[in-house]
Amino acid sequence: MKIRNLLVAAALAAAGAVAQPAAADDITLQFVVWNYSLDVVQDNVAKFEAANPGIKVNVTDYTWPDYQDSLTLRFRANTPTDVIYGGQDWLPAWAAAGYLAPLDKIAPESELDELKKDIAGFALSDMTFKGKLYGLPYYADTISFLYNKKILADAGIPVPQTWDDVMAAAEKLKAGGMQHPFIYEYNQTLPNFFDAFVAQAYGRGATLFDADQKAVFDDPSNGAYQQLQWLADAWKKDLVESSVHESKIVPAMNTGKYAFSVLYNYNLAALNDAGSQPLAGQFALAPMPGKTHATLGFSKFYAVTSKTAADPARAAAAWKFIDFMAGKPYTVAKRWAVEKGLGFGELPLFSDPDVVNAWGKWIDMTTLKQQAATARAGTWTEWGSVWSAYFRPLLAKAMVGQESVDQVMKDGANRWNELRAQFVK
Amino acid sequence: MPASPAPICSGWIANSMWTANRYPGLWLLPALLPVALLTIYPVASALWTSLHQVMLLLPGEPFVGFQNYQRVLTSDYFTAALVNSLLFTLVSAPSVVVLGVLIALFLKRRFFGSQVVRSVVLLPWVLPGAISAVLWMWVFNPAFGILDWALRGLHLIRDPIPWLSSPQLAPVAVIVAHVWTQIPFAVVLTMTALAAINAETLEAAAIDCRSSFKRFRYVVLPEIRSMVVVLLVYNALIAFTSYDLVYAMTGGGPGTATTLLSFEIWNESFSMYDFGAGSAVAFIVVAVSAALIIAITRALPSDLFASE
Repeated sequence: MKIRNLLVAAALAAAGAVAQPAAADDITLQFVVWNYSLDVVQDNVAKFEAANPGIKVNVTDYTWPDYQDSLTLRFRANTPTDVIYGGQDWLPAWAAAGYLAPLDKIAPESELDELKKDIAGFALSDMTFKGKLYGLPYYADTISFLYNKKILADAGIPVPQTWDDVMAAAEKLKAGGMQHPFIYEYNQTLPNFFDAFVAQAYGRGATLFDADQKAVFDDPSNGAYQQLQWLADAWKKDLVESSVHESKIVPAMNTGKYAFSVLYNYNLAALNDAGSQPLAGQFALAPMPGKTHATLGFSKFYAVTSKTAADPARAAAAWKFIDFMAGKPYTVAKRWAVEKGLGFGELPLFSDPDVVNAWGKWIDMTTLKQQAATARAGTWTEWGSVWSAYFRPLLAKAMVGQESVDQVMKDGANRWNELRAQFVK
Repeated sequence: MPASPAPICSGWIANSMWTANRYPGLWLLPALLPVALLTIYPVASALWTSLHQVMLLLPGEPFVGFQNYQRVLTSDYFTAALVNSLLFTLVSAPSVVVLGVLIALFLKRRFFGSQVVRSVVLLPWVLPGAISAVLWMWVFNPAFGILDWALRGLHLIRDPIPWLSSPQLAPVAVIVAHVWTQIPFAVVLTMTALAAINAETLEAAAIDCRSSFKRFRYVVLPEIRSMVVVLLVYNALIAFTSYDLVYAMTGGGPGTATTLLSFEIWNESFSMYDFGAGSAVAFIVVAVSAALIIAITRALPSDLFASE
């Protein structure tokens, strides 16, 4: 009797397994990210899975400093990878190497054209390689000049308009007892170490490369050359405090010991977070000092791998996922903006009441719009990330006076032009 | 009755074709295969890569002979990285051994709480390099770091010291952190060597000589010197190939102030996407490491391990 019952139970279980074949047909996408706010990422993924039965998403994360290496290894080792966080600086190399596919391989062009209309110019430029769109924005932002309003007001210093103004203000604050008025993210391993420098040079109206993509920043009249000289002078005058990461700068500025910094915009949300920061409300964004007040705009984006694009079923699933994360009505982008203060590449969000209300608490939206309007995209080439890895340590050397500005700019320009020649050939 | 007892494995086994003497290679296979798989293959693959142009962004992997080596040896960073690595090794390896021996001698004594102190001394051993780096970055932080706070408290400094962003101080900071992570292993091995010394020898030495330094110099040190040498060689290799701690603390900077050769392997391979050049640096590191070991062992008395 017992054996018969067991057989019946086994038969029922087998029938049940046969009756539910959908689980076996599920597609599991491998989604690779850097580990910023993983809880929000996982929650967004859960919402996507609930809305798209049959598609599962497995999230793999790496730290930001290790992200580029880890992705390179994944690509080289053919580790299954479907959708990734991409970056404007890595796109040309990864696309040229055939690791990433343009979105028109997985999505209808008409849908992409509709989405493109809403994306800010610098963000669109960052996600485009050889005329093809390779991603949709995870977030897009500018690198901004941030300052402590109270410190400047107490010292009777107006908001600096040029880098000479910043130097004069810093010297005045130092004379008044502030040891290091300027706190700077000084970490040559991070790609944004170079990006922050470019943003400052853009403020002066600098163009680092000519129309043929030859380096021109080694000319002493170039704004980039002048800005590196400015930084070296500021370090020499002991006006600058170095910090290895933006996450350390936020609490440091909240000690009231520093007046200025140059950081990604979203740090302003953290600086002015009343729940965690004692000086919240004292920090503001100013247009990047310099003649043009321009800055570097950039975009991080969702991209699809070539292997996935070549598999119709996975390609379809990947497009559904990317469209959910970055497509209309921009629910996920809005969530990042409202909850975390991440910038966005989708222009309609600038007039979204929820975004305006949330951002109004920590940033002056008028100044932000003005800064976003003058933001310029960087020059990203196949050899750009290789060159950046070479140039960043040189930049770091010049800042702290280990090498002359002239030598560093000459070496940097020579290496750029060598790589350019190699890749063009 | 035979003159001597028969060996245990006499008979079929001794006479069979499966004797260890007859087919030593076959018997060694289970040990050799993993070694071949995990060591020889990767090394051979790296050697192959170092002789080819394996650049992620360029098509094909043509044979280029020693071009990668030539490019690496003449690059802007190589001399700085080599000098930094040698200095890092020459300072940190002896420091670890000297401090390890001193701490081991101290911990060998019994005192109130000695067991707790022994456990605490071993703590850095269980921390991964990256965690140790984070810890030391906070110690050296000019705004919040305990070191600057203590120095200010003692009125030794007025302004914060930029430990990790000054080209002069950053090497000192990373050496201090590295030595801290390596001391526990040196302490454990030295304590093992100390425990092996004959207690009667130490008692006799205590009666004959009142100077503890002389007892250490003439009785203890000769007994543990082979362990000290092993520690020195081991720490020289560890320091010369050190990567994670320095990478996490300074990223090789500022500029090239803390750039080590091992860091350049990563830099060439993953930042520059040039795996051929990265492999060439790796082989140069192997060659210099081998030269270091030979130099250290040649500098030692030839009878060092003779009595053991």
